[in-house]
Amino acid sequence: MTFRPDFSLGGKSALVIGASTPLGRAAAVALAEAGANVAVATSTRSPREEVSANSCANEIWALNRKGFAQAIDAADESNVEALVRRVADELGQLDILVNAQDLAFAKPLGQISLAEWRRVLDVNLTGVYLACRAAGQRMLAQGNGRIVTITSVLGERGMANGSAYCAAQAGVLNMTRALALEWARSGTTVNAIGAGWTEGMGILADGEARQQLERYLPYKRLAKPDEIAGAVVYLASDAADYLTGQVIWIEGGALSHV
Amino acid sequence: MGVLDKLRLDDVTAIVTGAGRGLGRAMAVALADAGADIVVTARTQAQIDETAELVRKTGRKCLAVTCDVTDSASVQAMVDASLAEFGRIEILVNNAGGATDGFGNSLEAITDQQWRVGIDTNLTGAMYCSRAVIPHMMDRADTQAAGGKIINVTSGFGLRAGRNNFIYTSAKAGLINFTRSITMTYAPAIQANLIAPGLFPHDDPAMTEWWRGGKFVPMGRLGADEELGPLCVFLASDASSHMNGQILVLDGGGLAGGHAPTGFAPVVELEAEP
Repeated sequence: MTFRPDFSLGGKSALVIGASTPLGRAAAVALAEAGANVAVATSTRSPREEVSANSCANEIWALNRKGFAQAIDAADESNVEALVRRVADELGQLDILVNAQDLAFAKPLGQISLAEWRRVLDVNLTGVYLACRAAGQRMLAQGNGRIVTITSVLGERGMANGSAYCAAQAGVLNMTRALALEWARSGTTVNAIGAGWTEGMGILADGEARQQLERYLPYKRLAKPDEIAGAVVYLASDAADYLTGQVIWIEGGALSHV
Repeated sequence: MGVLDKLRLDDVTAIVTGAGRGLGRAMAVALADAGADIVVTARTQAQIDETAELVRKTGRKCLAVTCDVTDSASVQAMVDASLAEFGRIEILVNNAGGATDGFGNSLEAITDQQWRVGIDTNLTGAMYCSRAVIPHMMDRADTQAAGGKIINVTSGFGLRAGRNNFIYTSAKAGLINFTRSITMTYAPAIQANLIAPGLFPHDDPAMTEWWRGGKFVPMGRLGADEELGPLCVFLASDASSHMNGQILVLDGGGLAGGHAPTGFAPVVELEAEP
């Protein structure tokens, strides 16, 4: 008998938090293409975010999937819990959570205010905790679930001016491993995708930084957001039943570099 | 006993391979400075004689004996000579190694012979030396907490890759798990740890030029051989008595980054909140 991997997500419901980021949007569209109904959440920060969320939801509807867009503060407990309730109400259940919350920030440590530090940790780390807790409550009750958190090479390596952001991403990485162990017998897997330098990433900011990186990377180019799509679908699918606590790095060889 | 006493190596004997120059010489002299008697070994007599002079200047005893670490009979003879001279070996520093013929070749251009010599020099030599001293260290461990310490010198290239760097990276990565397996097998009788140096030009102007004087190292400079000595003393001493199977990287900050160019330091402000 051969094992035929089932990558299809037909009939499953997903929530992508941070869908206005390039990686969050790519994850949301990939899940929809693979058959899932997908709710997307973006930040309440600016009208641009809402436009982005609506356009992402339009892409999901164009694939004949159900879904909705909602703006939230990803670091606000009641916002996150209400969002998860809405997913369950409107899509019937919650099988897949993708954490793509991403608040870009980089500054010399001496210039980082306590408020900035807290905000970066609140969105990038505490936001993942809130979402995992709210979604996990349902996943543990239903006996299966998938959590895929998008993190960064900056969770594994340092960067000058990156102290706050790197701390948050490293926190996300080891929280993934801890939670994977905690829920290992519950049918809910917890994994991360470690993204490399990706087009449209907030932390890249200016064009000169981008050119520096392109010269440096083994691939001689930044990643395209869509390049995480396969890993998102795989980790979200029944084909990855026994895979938990892992980070799949999609970084064009960056971490092999000395 | 104070912490500085724990860092002393009085009445201890250490073997340092590849001690004719560079990091090996620096580690041999540092261990002697801390009180150890030293066996300095390498292939070239004239070079180990120079190192032996430096060791003796610290007031310690030194045996200079030639050895080709890629030849197990030569290694056994060196270890036998060391035991005959000093009667004991507490420390083995497997430092011999480096770029061999074919270094920098693309994979298609590496000959079987180049591969074997590179792996023998940078990996098998450490196995031969460890294999030769472990029975003695195990015997000593019957009467003491730890019978010996093995310090293996890997490289930043044991942890990360390099373009057209196949032989050296493979051997140095192999040395890391070789060391951890010693830990798993012989703890607590033997401690085995690793030092991973970054870029050390050994006062060679060509290497200094090749590495642009350390412009790409976060600290902005290359390493000086003498800077490795104190780390070797720490790992050889009672100050590290509960460390086992670990890699200590000494590289001016290089491996803390490595996913972006050195000096890459963007400034990104938080977006205004509504």
